[in-house]
Amino acid sequence: MVDTTSFWASWDLFRDAALAGTFAGAMLGLLGVYVLIRRMVFLSAALSQAASLGVAAAFWAQVQGAPAWLATPTLGALGGTLLATGLAGIPDRTSRRDGLLGAIYLVGAAGTLAIGTKIVQELQDIESLLFGSGVAVLPEDFRIIAWLALTLGLVQLWLHRGLLHVSLDRDGARIQRLPVRFLDFVLVLSLATAVSVSTRLLGALPVFAFMVLPALAALDLAQNPAQALLLSALFGAAAGLGGYWLAFSASLPVGAAQTLVAATLVAVLRVARLLFEWLQSSLAHRRHDALAHQAHEHGPECGHEAVAHGDHLDYLVDGHLHHPHDGHCDDHGRQ
Amino acid sequence: MLLQIRELQVGYQSRAILPPLTLQVEPGQLWAVTGPNGAGKSTFLRTILGLQQQVAGGIERGTSAIGYVPQRSEVDPAVPQRVIDLVRMGVERGWRVLDPLAARRNPAIQAAMRDADVTSLARIQWRRLSEGQKQRALLAQALAGEPALLVLDEPTSAMDMHAEASVFAVLERLRAERQLGVLVISHHLALLARYATHFVLLDKDERLALVGDRETVLRDPAFIERYGQVLDRGGRHG
Repeated sequence: MVDTTSFWASWDLFRDAALAGTFAGAMLGLLGVYVLIRRMVFLSAALSQAASLGVAAAFWAQVQGAPAWLATPTLGALGGTLLATGLAGIPDRTSRRDGLLGAIYLVGAAGTLAIGTKIVQELQDIESLLFGSGVAVLPEDFRIIAWLALTLGLVQLWLHRGLLHVSLDRDGARIQRLPVRFLDFVLVLSLATAVSVSTRLLGALPVFAFMVLPALAALDLAQNPAQALLLSALFGAAAGLGGYWLAFSASLPVGAAQTLVAATLVAVLRVARLLFEWLQSSLAHRRHDALAHQAHEHGPECGHEAVAHGDHLDYLVDGHLHHPHDGHCDDHGRQ
Repeated sequence: MLLQIRELQVGYQSRAILPPLTLQVEPGQLWAVTGPNGAGKSTFLRTILGLQQQVAGGIERGTSAIGYVPQRSEVDPAVPQRVIDLVRMGVERGWRVLDPLAARRNPAIQAAMRDADVTSLARIQWRRLSEGQKQRALLAQALAGEPALLVLDEPTSAMDMHAEASVFAVLERLRAERQLGVLVISHHLALLARYATHFVLLDKDERLALVGDRETVLRDPAFIERYGQVLDRGGRHG
């Protein structure tokens, strides 16, 4: 049974954790747009698993007596992510790059589980890492993720045009002498830090979900890539916070709840968009029937875009192809 | 000088596919690059643009902006993008991309959209455009950067004859008015013979690379053997 009132009544108890999820959702959602545009979804999965392995290795090192200041989970996550990023960037002519990413993912997941069994007293932490079942966030960790989200947001405000250009049209960016390597470096560094810090706090599953699902919904709705960045950040934040609400209200693991909320957002927004398009199409069709040809005749000077369609010429009106012939006009559907 | 090529050899993995090429593109010249399919034309173009490593020889691109219209755009139809967004990207140049307001200030965007006849398509999504409209949008994107040299790889391959002729007329106008240098790959010999000032005929299989001004190339026996007497079909425009 979902209990909404108790969630807000208990807000003070887990405010930091819920806000950390919100910040992580926003920054990973935003970066997820680049992940989808560049078709590197598998890279984000591999990085989040590598970060998990890094955190697990840090716990193990602490148990083995390593200095606490050195074997911190955050440093472990960062080390794992950077190592994976370096490995993924090695040119390999003998195998496909996605095969290498698959290997990183598998080693990350298996290594985390294997180390987890060796440090029984930390097993709860290992499960949190893999599935995002943790609900507590230390104040210093909260400060780190808040500052990181703010910093990455500002970097995006400043560099998003260049980052999008390099992601959408690499050849064009090189010909126009954009600083492609610098922009690549900024993006990889953003991904590495966001993934490592978020994985340390939330776990691999929601981190991967935040990098894929909000961007999927945003690219579905947005008019252009810049708008997609903003929408994706908002959807990610909503999934981060909404996931905590669902986890609390329905007694679910946080990571699973965040992933489910994000997936629901994708589904609901997809259906809403299809409905909107259907309505828009119906209205345009009616408007066309009622008005289009009372005082209008299509022709070279009529003001509508002429579009070649099969063996004849149509005119583009509100996204519909109009075909005037024999004293009337047919709607040949959407372009 | 907009582009200087000396003894350039293009190819793959250190193996040249064409004989060495030497040419110099000056402002106001329109260079036509032609030849059969698979002749090495796109490889030649990608090499001079710096997208592909040359096997040997030198390329000097000068300091002026270069605009490029690819044969097929890399624009992913799954990514939402309107024509105006695509054209705005053409304004970016070098480190100026780090100026958050630069692209929206530039009046060249509207001029480029008028020249390429895509003003009425500004708010239309890329994925909804016909192939011919996409090529015009890509032309607008290249023109938005106010290039001194425009490089086009079969820019009219998806257009009907009327649209094709209008694109060449725009290129001719920009060449005459702005002294724009143009390097264009095309198979449309009637239009090339009308508008080009210089020709490059390439044929990888025959190891042929014929370079020179319009009359020299069109009267060359190697050209006539392949395409006949193009010069007799009509004089150069303008």
